[in-house]
Amino acid sequence: MARRLVMAAGMLAFFVAGLVRANGVLHLYNWNNYIAPQTLARFESVCRCRVAYDTYGSNEELLARLAAGATGYDILVPTGEAVQSLIRAGRLLPLDKRKLPNFVNIDPAYLNGFYDPGNVYSVPYAYTVTLLGYNVGKMRALGIPTDTWAALFDPRYLKRLRGRVTVLDDPRELLAAALKYLGYAANDVDPSHWQRAAQVIVKAKPYWAAFNNTSYIRLIASGDVWLAQGYSNDFFQAEREAESVREPFTIAFSVPKEGAVLAVDNMVVPKGAPRADLAYQFIDFMLEGRNASELTNLIGSGNPNRAARPFIRRALADNPAIFPDHAVLGRLEELRELDRKQRRFLNRLWLEIKLH
Amino acid sequence: MSISRGAPKRPFSSMTSRARLARWALSGPPLTFLAIFFLIPTLIMALASFGWPGREGGFSPLWYHDAAGWHFDFTLGNYRDIFTLRLFLVLYLRSLGYALATTGFCLVGAYPLSLVIARARVGYRNLLLLLVIVPFWSNFLIRIYAWMIILGPQAALSRGINAVLGLCGIRAVNLLFSPFAVMMGLVYVSLPFMILPLYANLEKHDPALLEAARDLGASAWSCFWRVTFPLSVPGVIAGATLVFVPALGAFAVPDILGGTRGIMIGNVIEMEFLQARDWPFGAALSIILTILALGATGIAAWAARRGIKAYG
Amino acid sequence: MARRAALYAAALVAYAFLYVPLVIVVLFSFSASHLGTRWAGFTLHWYRVLLHDAAMLHAAWNSVIIALAASLAATVFGTLAALATRKYRLRFLPVLVLAPLSTPDILQGVSLLVFFVLLNVTLGLKSVMLAHISFCIAYVAIVVSSRLAGMDPSLVEAARDLGASPWKGFWLITLPLLAPGIMAGGLLAFTMSIDDFVITFFTAGAGTTTLPLRIYTMIKVAVTPEVNAVSTLLMASTLVLVLSISKLAPQALKGMG
Repeated sequence: MARRLVMAAGMLAFFVAGLVRANGVLHLYNWNNYIAPQTLARFESVCRCRVAYDTYGSNEELLARLAAGATGYDILVPTGEAVQSLIRAGRLLPLDKRKLPNFVNIDPAYLNGFYDPGNVYSVPYAYTVTLLGYNVGKMRALGIPTDTWAALFDPRYLKRLRGRVTVLDDPRELLAAALKYLGYAANDVDPSHWQRAAQVIVKAKPYWAAFNNTSYIRLIASGDVWLAQGYSNDFFQAEREAESVREPFTIAFSVPKEGAVLAVDNMVVPKGAPRADLAYQFIDFMLEGRNASELTNLIGSGNPNRAARPFIRRALADNPAIFPDHAVLGRLEELRELDRKQRRFLNRLWLEIKLH
Repeated sequence: MSISRGAPKRPFSSMTSRARLARWALSGPPLTFLAIFFLIPTLIMALASFGWPGREGGFSPLWYHDAAGWHFDFTLGNYRDIFTLRLFLVLYLRSLGYALATTGFCLVGAYPLSLVIARARVGYRNLLLLLVIVPFWSNFLIRIYAWMIILGPQAALSRGINAVLGLCGIRAVNLLFSPFAVMMGLVYVSLPFMILPLYANLEKHDPALLEAARDLGASAWSCFWRVTFPLSVPGVIAGATLVFVPALGAFAVPDILGGTRGIMIGNVIEMEFLQARDWPFGAALSIILTILALGATGIAAWAARRGIKAYG
Repeated sequence: MARRAALYAAALVAYAFLYVPLVIVVLFSFSASHLGTRWAGFTLHWYRVLLHDAAMLHAAWNSVIIALAASLAATVFGTLAALATRKYRLRFLPVLVLAPLSTPDILQGVSLLVFFVLLNVTLGLKSVMLAHISFCIAYVAIVVSSRLAGMDPSLVEAARDLGASPWKGFWLITLPLLAPGIMAGGLLAFTMSIDDFVITFFTAGAGTTTLPLRIYTMIKVAVTPEVNAVSTLLMASTLVLVLSISKLAPQALKGMG
């Protein structure tokens, strides 16, 4: 009963807090858990406003909602290829850099992405690398290399891993990995190369446990799965989980030597944003080093902000899979948008793969 | 048994204005609401299923006007693809199979429980009924994740089964990420939808009927098949509908528990709207699924009614 | 007697099947591990986290409000639909009632969003409620119909013969007879509404979040046992709510069991 009272009090405090903040509401539409709670609280006290933080689970969900006409957001945080789509659809507001003095903090390596040359519309926020995460002990015991996509696709290795592997349930990401394994570019759109990649996938599929981008973190952290294709920040969390519950094994992750996909999430302001002024204030606030660092310390995401480096925990800053050096960065590719014909072709190919 | 259905139907014109008012007072509100908030939006999508996807997702316009005049951009291509590509036929059939199996398992699993609740002491019935539904007030995703833990290779269930299989010299199986896991998940999420309508029906049965049958010397088993079950057919139809129809379009359960082999038509529809950003094709797949579901329930309800008539 | 024992055993197995996952859900809300992969010792940590997570509590609050409003409205509409269908042997209405059940969630979500945008409806709690009502009606209507089927019309006629007005006859005879069906249908509608993700995702406005929305979008960045905690709390408070309604208003529930 006491707990319920406290809960009710908490709710009341929430509403009252909403009334006190005189400067209105900023509507932030972002990935879940993609801003540290203390950062959010500090911004609310700086801008004397309330942040309404809504969440989505994938770029496709975000795009679908916007395509159907949903409005009312001030800030979105889509990945590069989704930014490209939003720009092409004419949905974004060009940003006035004079209102963003902290923009200089961004590492130039993450500026001028293919999707927005000159960063007219977008400001890099955080990034992840799609790579291999694995159970260190098992992979060593089974004699499987962990620095190559072959571990995921070569039946020679997979025979020893049967039923203990998951791959992402995302046609673009999985195809990109297979293309890289075959020596093509992740953004290769040659249908015959796609067909070859699909064959590689179909051959490896019987050994995989699942196409999964929802729960591989806990599967690998619990020891049910030994090798997974996934995102660097997810494996960082799996590593911490295995450590904290004192599992007898450790989780590690690394960028395969053939190269991998880099996904940069960007802050953008949609056209018709009700509070573009607060949006500018938010972006510039998030570009300050300390504020930018807190997300990385929380979830292990990559950070394009140079001023954030001094605030980032050593263990994270020194991990090349989270902060790739120049050599690794050269092997990373950002996915580009497909046109609608390619999307339809890819989708049918993906269905064939899944039904095979 | 009586299957008379209320007042005989009278031609509309001969109805008194008072009767007409009563008719509209009953059917008007749900009809109007569903027409506005379901039928019209769905018809918009049905229309759009004859078009092309927009460049960045959504729909491209079905018609537009420019200097050269009016242009119409309709296509039957989406439906042609569905009916000619083997891919989609296989997916519809597979979903149909899963949905039928789910309905069967739910019926078998739910019947004894509904019967026990319906025959429990009056004061306990609501509590027992509530107990059925309480687990479903926690979150869906969390419950399915719990199944992942139960079915996982390191859990007691898998270990036990594999130990037995090992003794018989059969290779170990993976329970999680298998059609078995999908089936289990579908039955789990659907079970209350069979239990509640069955209970609502069984609860009204007159115990005197059963007693009479027993007095006439019928065994418990034949009592059940000759009295209880025939009387409960409307409840079975209602439950079967509430289980079968949603299971046909299921996507979350196969997605999470199915691994590499669990894809159903619901997953494909979701993919068309999200990953492929091909709304017209997704709409076409959905419309076919809706027709399939309505058709199947219509046939089942008709057959069951025939069955009752034959009995009565 | 052996048959009776077998019946009870089967019922018990069904209950166990429903409750085994639930035990895990509740258990892991007290687990010290971050992702709930292993039992790592008892803690109330996640409940403390939850109490300070205003956004999560607000989302849970929204879910309850929406589910209450939607299931109440759907219960009225669904019962009316069932009565009308039976009394006037309608053909179109039952199809229309069943159709939302058989239409994929994502199509309903997208189509409603397109529709709301066309009509310039501001998205928010109300748009979500309207959407939920439209898919909840089927559950009530179907269950109530099954209760109505084979119901003895002579009772109502007898009441009429005794001079009761149609309204009184409905209120005194039909409604109490239907009550278990209405209650079962309403419970199903509430359950569907409080757990809906897809349709809510599309029809919710900026700043309107429900619990399933928050939980589903956690997928990308890991689900912590805080979610188990909020699920447990939600379940417990709903149970308390329903039980207190039945305690406070025993009259309303009379004749239901």
